[in-house]
Amino acid sequence: MSWSIGLLALPAVVFFLVFNYLPMAGLVVAFKQFDVNLGIFGSPWNGLENFAYFLESGDAARILFNTLFLNVLFLGATLAAGMILAIMLNEIRSTFFKRVSQSVVFFPYFVSPVVISIILQVLLAGASGGGGAVNDALGGLGFPTVDWYTEPGPWPWILTVVKVWQLGGYLSVIFLAAITGIPEEVYEAGMIDGASRAQMAWRITLPLLKPTAAVLLVLGVGRIFYGDFGTIYAIVGDNGTLFDSTDVIDTYVFRALRQLGDFGTTAAVGLFQSVVGFILVLIAVLIQRKYSKETSIL
Amino acid sequence: MSHHLMSRRRLLATGGGLSLAALLAACSDDSQKAQTTGAAASGGALALSLLLPGDAPAGWDAVLAEVNKKLQADLGFTIKPQFIPWSSYGQQALLKFTAGEKFDTALQARWLNMTQLAASGSIVELSSLMSSGKYPNLAATIDPKIIELNRWSGKLYGVPQINSAARFHHFTIRQDLAEKLGMTDITDFAGLEKFWYDVKQKNKDIIPIGISSRMPKLLVAWNPVGWLNPYMWENPTMSIASFTGESLNFVLAADGKQTGSSNPIPFWEAPGMVDALRLVRKYYQDGLFNKNGLTLDSKALDSQYKAGRVATVWAMTDGLSSAALPELTKNVPGAMIANVMPLKGGESAKPYQTFQSDNFVVLNAKGQSNEKAMQLQDWASIKENHDLLNYGITGKDWNPIGDDKYEKVSTYTFPGFALAWRAKLERRVNGMTESETKWFDWAQDINNFTIDPYASFVPDPEPIKRENTQITAAMTQFANPLFLGAVDVDQGLDKLKKALDRAGLAKVQAEMAKQADAYLKGQ
Repeated sequence: MSWSIGLLALPAVVFFLVFNYLPMAGLVVAFKQFDVNLGIFGSPWNGLENFAYFLESGDAARILFNTLFLNVLFLGATLAAGMILAIMLNEIRSTFFKRVSQSVVFFPYFVSPVVISIILQVLLAGASGGGGAVNDALGGLGFPTVDWYTEPGPWPWILTVVKVWQLGGYLSVIFLAAITGIPEEVYEAGMIDGASRAQMAWRITLPLLKPTAAVLLVLGVGRIFYGDFGTIYAIVGDNGTLFDSTDVIDTYVFRALRQLGDFGTTAAVGLFQSVVGFILVLIAVLIQRKYSKETSIL
Repeated sequence: MSHHLMSRRRLLATGGGLSLAALLAACSDDSQKAQTTGAAASGGALALSLLLPGDAPAGWDAVLAEVNKKLQADLGFTIKPQFIPWSSYGQQALLKFTAGEKFDTALQARWLNMTQLAASGSIVELSSLMSSGKYPNLAATIDPKIIELNRWSGKLYGVPQINSAARFHHFTIRQDLAEKLGMTDITDFAGLEKFWYDVKQKNKDIIPIGISSRMPKLLVAWNPVGWLNPYMWENPTMSIASFTGESLNFVLAADGKQTGSSNPIPFWEAPGMVDALRLVRKYYQDGLFNKNGLTLDSKALDSQYKAGRVATVWAMTDGLSSAALPELTKNVPGAMIANVMPLKGGESAKPYQTFQSDNFVVLNAKGQSNEKAMQLQDWASIKENHDLLNYGITGKDWNPIGDDKYEKVSTYTFPGFALAWRAKLERRVNGMTESETKWFDWAQDINNFTIDPYASFVPDPEPIKRENTQITAAMTQFANPLFLGAVDVDQGLDKLKKALDRAGLAKVQAEMAKQADAYLKGQ
């Protein structure tokens, strides 16, 4: 009864058609000089001019670099933090304390980027924009204070710390699940061989977490071309002094559309991002197939 | 078994059918809506949707309910205003227009995106509606002279919302602090500067000057005077033009009328501009203003000011500065404020003015009913309705004092300029400070100003749309931090110039010259 199975799939197919595929028709706007009165399909074609705007604006190289650099930083740091946290949590013997710690490190995952941005402002700038707890601490230790919100240099690292804080606990849960899957006998063998707890973590747990880390890495690489819009925009906003090190494709597209109302250019940048993202996903999956065929999604 | 199969099939078919029906309904929805445009009034179900700036005022629900009850009875429709925070109003309103949303009216202005919207045909040209004779109350409360002064190349793109002849920005300071510091009457920029440094030195918890994320563009090269530009306060006779609100400011030749050449130059080439940038940089480094000006929301700044933590804020000659006093004095007993206009020559300075309204109600070309939107403007021009919208519910939010004053009872503050400002119906807040009364009166007399030689010149951004887009992006990135003193002047200016050159400054400058010269020729 293959047609009834097809019918079963119909609502889902319709859903994806309406919300995922039909809107793709709007991508033609990337090749048009969009005029709201003429509509998407009535506006005149203008070839690749919208793409030229982005590539010739002088911003393209910086934005591409920022997008890749920040995401590589985020990916590396969050994976490492997740793994280390998982190993540390695994070492906690008291179940109660372990559960509490797990909840505490997981919690930041649910904190809204807007709240994070406010916390950061209080820490880095204070109410007047010229103080903040971090500057107070720096001053107390005899270091010069920093106008954090006008210095682009430290921001990739600040954002990385934020990402680790946000995602470290979340990823640690995935790694903890993987640790639970490691057979008890392996550790027993380690104990018989006289390994200390640190040695067992280093020589048994860590190597056995590699496959999980590899899957998460591949998933991450596929998304590497998407800046983390929510967090970055909530924190940086339209503060031009920080664009040098924080402006990524998503924030650029959002700003272009919001400030300039230029749908054509924005769609062109978005399409460019999607195409490169798609290629990266393909490459990531192909690499994964090569090294671990069983877990590959293709 | 077969029975089960049948019912499962029927269930699936019903599910599929429902999905398809939903899909079809979704597809046809838009066309149906489009058909109702302009004719949805029957049955009184129409609710005009309006874009208003800022946060909904405290007590708004009660006022809105009252307004809608009255509107429904008087005109057979209601309103559904949407408040958008100031920090993103300009951009969100533009986006809603560009995306073809079907709201009815919005606040717009040259300093927002009005030129862009007029050029793209997104807003309605109002001449025929205004002269139709159908809106007598509106016609009676807006001076025909004001309507004429607010036409762009003969076309009227919005209903001007005014409460004085000209609006002039300046400073509101905490007079009680000034007096404690031994300064009774501040009248010039040097006096202001001394006040700021003294506040910084003697009141460590108070920020001398408060700056929000909306303000950077006003600080150095603004029309008619850059807020922190002493040269312009000394010489308030500079003509400034830009293609759109956030784009590059050009300074136009003062003798254009004689020579026929407007010779537009980027702001930094005009006298006093770079000095002003350096001064602002010094203020920034000396901690005279909050360093988070690029990100601080105007509402947050306002609450800090009312809590007594800011000594100077931006002011307009609209009679609204004193409205902050009740809340301020509640938080800081004994607080006093004064409006300071550091013009050289004071009230006799005769600065340039374009006499164009700073605020317009514009009608969305894709709105549900442009006629009803005008009816709303007419309705808001009746004193009783004007009072209700602007001041709230009598007895609860305010009490009338005579015919032209009111006493504030609650914290209700409606952005009247965005919907219902009528010079002839405006009431003054009871207890308006002496200095504000002086400057408000001054701004209401057209003879206190000189007409800017480029007063009704409104450049059309269409021919250089793409370049203007890039220039606006460069201004956000490089000029705003520069205007705020957040970056080194020489390095920042160098970066700005390079970015603007790349964005097509030469072409935009040539277009500005072409259009301004044509304007001069037509004078």
